[in-house]
Amino acid sequence: MIIAFGQFLEVLVSGLLAGVLYSLVALGFVLIFKASGVFNFAQGAMVLLAGLALVRSLDFLVANGLPFWAAIIAALLFAALIMAITAFLVERFVLGPLINQDGLTLFMSTIGVTFIIEGGAQMLFGSDVYPLRLFPSDAWFLFEGSFPGGLLVSKIDVWGGMIAAVLVVGLAVFFQQTKTGRALRAVADDHAAAQSVGISLNWIWFIVWLVAGLVALVAATVWGTKLGVQFSIVFLALKALPVLIIGGFTSVPGAIVGGLIVGAGEKLAEAYLGPFIGGGIEYWFAYVLALVVLMARPQGLFGERIIERI
Amino acid sequence: MRAPDGPPVTSGDVLLSIDNVSLSFGGVKAISGVSFDIRKGEIRAIIGPNGAGKTSMLNIINGFYHPQQGIITFKGEARSKMRPHDAADGGIARTFQNVALFRGMSALDNIMAGRTLKMKRNMFWQMLRIGPALAEEVEHRHRVEEIIDFLKIQEIRRTPVSRLPYGLQKRVELGRALAMEPELLLLDEPMAGMNIEEKEDMSRFILDVNEHYGTTIALIEHDMGVVMDLSDRVVVLDHGIKIADGTPQEVKSNQAVIDAYLGVAH
Ligand SMILES: Nc1ncnc2c1ncn2[C@@H]1O[C@H](COP(=O)(O)OP(=O)(O)OP(=O)(O)O)[C@@H](O)[C@H]1O
Ligand SMILES: [Mg+2]
Repeated sequence: MIIAFGQFLEVLVSGLLAGVLYSLVALGFVLIFKASGVFNFAQGAMVLLAGLALVRSLDFLVANGLPFWAAIIAALLFAALIMAITAFLVERFVLGPLINQDGLTLFMSTIGVTFIIEGGAQMLFGSDVYPLRLFPSDAWFLFEGSFPGGLLVSKIDVWGGMIAAVLVVGLAVFFQQTKTGRALRAVADDHAAAQSVGISLNWIWFIVWLVAGLVALVAATVWGTKLGVQFSIVFLALKALPVLIIGGFTSVPGAIVGGLIVGAGEKLAEAYLGPFIGGGIEYWFAYVLALVVLMARPQGLFGERIIERI
Repeated sequence: MRAPDGPPVTSGDVLLSIDNVSLSFGGVKAISGVSFDIRKGEIRAIIGPNGAGKTSMLNIINGFYHPQQGIITFKGEARSKMRPHDAADGGIARTFQNVALFRGMSALDNIMAGRTLKMKRNMFWQMLRIGPALAEEVEHRHRVEEIIDFLKIQEIRRTPVSRLPYGLQKRVELGRALAMEPELLLLDEPMAGMNIEEKEDMSRFILDVNEHYGTTIALIEHDMGVVMDLSDRVVVLDHGIKIADGTPQEVKSNQAVIDAYLGVAH
């Protein structure tokens, strides 16, 4: 009984912490979607770009004799700069010129952006698997007194959880306290009214793409430490889609909770249902869950009710 | 595209002039060769039947639409392709015909958003709420509270605007425009859908803003009584063409205006 409960806790915690990554990617989507109504297909590609820029510049700096901590700081700044340049280019040459076009056009344009970022990132930084070691990769064994063998909790996952928490708090403060944060909320509510009080849409779009780029960078540090920075990161973005459907496309808390639900849900399903139906549940569980939510609550758990005016 | 820091425009001078402006959407001519001006300190009404081009004219003035033809001169500077946030920066504020508030925010935050351009402090100080940023926030809150008192909406300042009745939403929207401390205030049917009492309040606010702050106002309004009471001069549009321009008395007795309102065939 105690062993079973310990096992359950272990699966739950590892699932929740893995879900943090889904939350981070979904968060990037939500930020851009709220502020510009653009469904940004390129979010996964941005995680790849950020990860490659980080790991390759880190390796380069360490190889050239910089102390590790200084190299990490410099590499993070370099990767952040790359994301800022990306945000600038996307706003300037893709979304800026397409202002006032309909959602589908903008969505298609982000598919184009995805291929350019994926190609560009690999051309600039290489296309191998690059291990990233920012966080310790071993595990803790907690509560060894209560559970035989203790609860196994991986340190990377805990780091990821803590960093995500700091990020979310930082974003919340940014949205609530700053002029730019208020302007972002204003644009999310009404483009015309926001412009009329002096907010430049182009500026705000640059800012949201920049913030989404920085969120992608955070996701890349955690993901990259877990599995190495490699192309398959882009498929992470596909997992964000069910997360968004579950949480709601316009809700920041929805993205976070949705990610946690998917993370915990798929791990639990794998552990407890897997043996009966042959495993592999992790790969489709999120989509089935999303489908169920879609039927019961089309706007997602936290999304605003969409009422069509007639 | 800020207006030059030349000699200040004094009362009675031309603040904004519209010169032979035309605007069309595909085949639809919304405005054809219209010219008029707005003088510093006046309340200028723009009237006309539905579809006359009044809202389009406001949209041109604050940069939402760019006319295919014509010149717009604001504070002595002719401008081309000004974007809405540049117009705001130059001192033009507005309200919308179909209330355009930030629905997710409280009345207070909506009005606070009107201070966007006045806030200069660095984002990092703002996040920490310390030092100069705190002083600045307090100062802006103070200005906003004055506006809230002026508009008599103290009780609803924390209410999400989507829950307010229409009349109060219009008032909050006016508050947001006032928070910008504009030189030129554009009001698109500020009294539409209001009852008599609400209309009287709104008229009072508009007159007070004009008198106490010296704000120049361009007002679109269908209620003729209100127009006669409030405005110094009236320009009348019909089917995108200017058909009359003068004092309320002159306009009222103008045959073309009477015909337009009675729907006489052209
Ligand atoms: N964005 C647009 N696209 C196409 N046509 C437009 C657009 N905006 C206005 N129009 C057209 O321009 C003409 C003038 O419209 P406008 O809204 O300026 O009239 P209005 O005088 O404000 O009318 P109302 O009193 O009904 O508000 C109308 O024929 C309208 O259909
Ligand atoms: Mg109109």
